[in-house]
Amino acid sequence: MTEAVRTQGLFKQFGQQIAVAGVDLVVPSGSFAGLVGPNGAGKTTTLSMITGLLRPDGGLAAVDGYDVWRDPVQVKARIGVLPEGLRLFERLSGRELLIYSGRLRGIPKADVEQRAGELLGVMDLEDAADKLVVDYSTGMRKKIGLAAALLHNPSVLFLDEPFEGVDPVSANTLTDVLRRYTASGSTVIFSSHVMDLVERLCDWVSVMSGGRIVAQGPLAEVRGERSLNQAFLDLVGGPRAAGGTGLTWLGSKAAEQ
Amino acid sequence: MSTALLFAQLKFRLIAGNLRGDVQRKLGFAFTLVAAVCVGGFGFLLMSLMRLAEPGLAADLTVIAFTVFFVSWAVVPLLAFGVDDTLDPARLALFPLRTRELAVGMFTASATGVWPAATLLITAGALVGLATGPGGVLLGVVAVLLQFALCLVISRLTTTALSSALRSRRGRDVLAVAAIFVVLLFQLPNLIANRGFGDPAALIESSAAVLRWTPPGLAAHAIADGGLAGVADLVALALVVLLVGWLWIKALGRALVTADASTQAASVRRSSGIIDRFLPDGPLAAVVTKELKYITRDPRYRIGWFASIVVTGVIAFSIAGDNPGARGPMAMVAGPAALGAMMLALQTCNAFGIDGRSLWMNAMAFGTERGLRTDLAGRHVASALIAVPLLTVLVVAVSLFAGNTGAILPALLIGWGVFGVGLGVGSMTSVLIPYTVPDRINAFTGAAPGQGGQAFAGSFAGMIAIAGLSLPVVLPVVLGVGWVAVAAVPYGIVIEILGRRLASSLGYARLPEVLAAVSRPT
Repeated sequence: MTEAVRTQGLFKQFGQQIAVAGVDLVVPSGSFAGLVGPNGAGKTTTLSMITGLLRPDGGLAAVDGYDVWRDPVQVKARIGVLPEGLRLFERLSGRELLIYSGRLRGIPKADVEQRAGELLGVMDLEDAADKLVVDYSTGMRKKIGLAAALLHNPSVLFLDEPFEGVDPVSANTLTDVLRRYTASGSTVIFSSHVMDLVERLCDWVSVMSGGRIVAQGPLAEVRGERSLNQAFLDLVGGPRAAGGTGLTWLGSKAAEQ
Repeated sequence: MSTALLFAQLKFRLIAGNLRGDVQRKLGFAFTLVAAVCVGGFGFLLMSLMRLAEPGLAADLTVIAFTVFFVSWAVVPLLAFGVDDTLDPARLALFPLRTRELAVGMFTASATGVWPAATLLITAGALVGLATGPGGVLLGVVAVLLQFALCLVISRLTTTALSSALRSRRGRDVLAVAAIFVVLLFQLPNLIANRGFGDPAALIESSAAVLRWTPPGLAAHAIADGGLAGVADLVALALVVLLVGWLWIKALGRALVTADASTQAASVRRSSGIIDRFLPDGPLAAVVTKELKYITRDPRYRIGWFASIVVTGVIAFSIAGDNPGARGPMAMVAGPAALGAMMLALQTCNAFGIDGRSLWMNAMAFGTERGLRTDLAGRHVASALIAVPLLTVLVVAVSLFAGNTGAILPALLIGWGVFGVGLGVGSMTSVLIPYTVPDRINAFTGAAPGQGGQAFAGSFAGMIAIAGLSLPVVLPVVLGVGWVAVAAVPYGIVIEILGRRLASSLGYARLPEVLAAVSRPT
């Protein structure tokens, strides 16, 4: 089994707070991998460190066998990224954004224009292609971000919460594109806390909690006999009972009468 | 009444909320408070001192002052939109309030606060300054209150009527640039007075004669008159206040149920620009094209460039204007050229600041420091494409104005050379002292919260370094050794290349840190 991503003891601290406490993430090549965990588990920090956007305080990260911090040329040519928070060049139109992103990587203009046109078509963004990204809705921004991440045909794709705030139609488009992409042998790693989605799409799951990987492996192994949602709740510490005391006033007004 | 009380309390809470923030916010609040007290007290004093002036002149000046307050109240809250939550009706739309109650509440909220209090105080100063006899005082009190109410309703009417436009992206863009024009507008009387266009007394008299019939003019006139004409003035003024108030309530009713215009986005032209056709295809052309688009589309660039052009122009012409027509020495032209080049180059001293959070896209594409070098080069080409023609126009204009056409060529060379030096310095400060430029720039800060120090250090270090490095070529020329100007452009290019190379090797090593510095929340 070749590995698309492997980290060893990846560690990051912000002031007193330890965000990532020694993560050993493994993702086999060609898999559709989900990185799941509650808010604040360190998913975004981990992905930022693997993609070279955030300097780790300790540990190693490698993509396709190349060290992220020692061999950035090889790594950056191989990865595509959709970071959290949809940070895009707001004052370019969708088409201009794709063309800029491709040409910055040295792809000839004619090729970039052709690829951008096709991506805009697949993402159903043709009508909005010449509008400024600042005026895009959340779903459109995720789609144009994904298009920009795919433009240079990376072999590993990192997506941070790609489906958050996306309408069902756009989400369907995104999953179609990603499925087609992994079917060709490329790797997708995405973070999410929507378990149904991870269960439906992924064949590999890594569960993070408190800055560590608490479970990792093929989907079937991690969830066992349970649903992934239940497995997740068991792993990260189950639901605290919402019944009992408190919130007695909450509910139908009719009951009071 | 309870609604009024509630809104007054809301406003007080919002004001007091400033005391709970970080140190910078507390300082900002303390500064506002002190400023308002000073402005209010000083304004009151000035208005009362009118008593010492000749009565006709005092009345004229009060008319003008009242008009200025009125215009300020109509315009300034527009610029602060998004800062004061009680100004936006949409924030209150979901509360079960009738339009009437909402109007009473928002009116109360407008009247609560340090600046309204300062306005009321200054306006009341006119009572001391103008009123004669008991009739004058009696009418004066009513006039002051009506004038104050007029200021409040007009500010409410403008913000409410424009609130949907102001919430849209395009509206805010326009407003950001408009802010500069407003600042200039307030400088206009100053300029006119200094330039000696006619006799100031006559100017005051003629403008007061017209403004006297505007609503604020009526108020001022009523105080000075104190008789039957004053009563008529006040009746007319009260009608105007009621009319504006009625318009405001209508606008409020409409604003609460009208969707904002933010979803209607216009398309941009599909063209990569002329420059792209002349540059070889590749990353450099991509950066230049993108940067030129940003300079025309992002209001923050527009503000920066516009401000540096205005500042340069004002300084250049005030230097050259000291002895217009006379055959000024070389320094009269070369000095402003060097200064203008520095002001324009300072725009590049935080090259990544406006890219901000989107800079990761560049960082992902750059596998080596060569990428960053190309990026900086692209930004420099784009800046030069705008600055070089601007400098040329400036130098030619200044030298014609100073009557020294012989200075054009050396001064041009100096200007271009200094701009090159500035680009080299700017690339260093961009990677060493980067900071986030917030989406909305205001008059007090051009940096994200907590980064004011970096912003100041960045421009200050940039200025010192540009000045210091430019001296070897600028000083001889200014002192009269004109031929040294020949060396200015090659010198500027060498500094640009050295600065860019050093900056890209330093910057590439600390790219994640630069990225973090320009991605601060604003």
